[in-house]
Amino acid sequence: MKKIALVMIIALLGTLSSEAQIQKVDQEVYGMDCAPCAYGLERGLNKMDGLQNVRVSLNDGKAYLELSKNNSLSLSQIQEEVKKNGFSAKKAEVVVEGTLINKNNGYKLVTGTETYQILAIISDDLNSKLKSGKIKIKGIVQDVEDGELTDEWKIEVTEIL
Amino acid sequence: MAISNLHLRIVLIIILCSSTISILNAQGHGPLYGLQTPTLARGGVDLNVASMSLSTENETSYMLRYLFSYGITEDFQINLTTPTTIERLNNAPRTRGNSNMPANGDIEASLWYRFFSNAFGVGKRFEGTAVLGVSAPTDDVRGQVNVGNSIHGAISTGYASRTWYAWLGGGYQYYFEKDNEQLGDLPYASAVVGYRPNIFMGDYPKPDWRIFLETMAEFPGDNKYNGQQNFSDSRSNKVLMGPSFLGLYGAWGISFGALFPVVQDLTPSAVKENYRVSINLSYWL
Repeated sequence: MKKIALVMIIALLGTLSSEAQIQKVDQEVYGMDCAPCAYGLERGLNKMDGLQNVRVSLNDGKAYLELSKNNSLSLSQIQEEVKKNGFSAKKAEVVVEGTLINKNNGYKLVTGTETYQILAIISDDLNSKLKSGKIKIKGIVQDVEDGELTDEWKIEVTEIL
Repeated sequence: MAISNLHLRIVLIIILCSSTISILNAQGHGPLYGLQTPTLARGGVDLNVASMSLSTENETSYMLRYLFSYGITEDFQINLTTPTTIERLNNAPRTRGNSNMPANGDIEASLWYRFFSNAFGVGKRFEGTAVLGVSAPTDDVRGQVNVGNSIHGAISTGYASRTWYAWLGGGYQYYFEKDNEQLGDLPYASAVVGYRPNIFMGDYPKPDWRIFLETMAEFPGDNKYNGQQNFSDSRSNKVLMGPSFLGLYGAWGISFGALFPVVQDLTPSAVKENYRVSINLSYWL
């Protein structure tokens, strides 16, 4: 009986994580100074499966991405595309949905492809809304050196949606 | 009715420009003449067509030049450039042509390696690129001297932002001996400053224009002739300066400009230059 319950829990978590995904990314891009640079990046991003809308701004130094439902894109794939175009991917504001896990007095958001470690939240309001299970958050993903991209990120939560 | 030489030149320049425009291609998004640093994206392709003209005290050359570039990685780029020479100079000064292009009838293959790049702000980049190229001539004789193959190396460093640009570089071209004759070598340096006025600060995908002030310093060695007694190994010293303009729109780029001699301290066998003009069109695939 216990085994059946365990299998059901695992199956449920699996379902949750397969639906989990990044939904929106405002990716900061350094070093992009010209129209063909923006054109190249926009075209490269548009070739990726799972993107619904892409806009690149030279003046903001950002790529604004809206991702389609059930996409399987990861933030590291997006940042790798930025690097491939010769630029440096810095901080990113993301809207991401996943499963929040409380472990060792800290929270981690697990999506189908990546893990986001939640940085300490000062706001009591935000803290009170953090509960294990399925959750959608908005936050700032901290910059990682371009050569050290992994599937683990640190995120500063700004809003729980 | 006789057509004057000047009219013929004007017609030829118009034909060159319109043929270039009809092909719709050019060169990088840096300066027109000076050494630059940007490299293509990984897997990126850049097609270019340039028309260039060089006028000396006695004659004027006209040439179309095509440049194909491919980004192996975001830091490695290979290039191949070939010429269509329309009017050759009998006595050609030893010089490079546009940035990353020979000025004469050489076919040149080159490798660019961006050995450092520091993107330190929105639109801001500081980087350095090394160039190594080999070339083979399409003509047997240039300025009454047998033309051999040549090698070319250069290094440049540059700063780019949304408003200001600057590049500084130096290079060297060495021609190998052919049938006991040898074209003089060419050490050279370039310095470029660029500026984008506020009125062209519109965000992508609006068109984007920049103005450059370009300076080239060239120190071409004398040629060696067959049977020549007492080769002196002397060098000319030349400094040229001029404006260039670069317009970018989406995947397209156009640049045009001219260089005029400021200093011409020439050896007796070297020829005096009047001007260089060029127009480039680029398309990034």
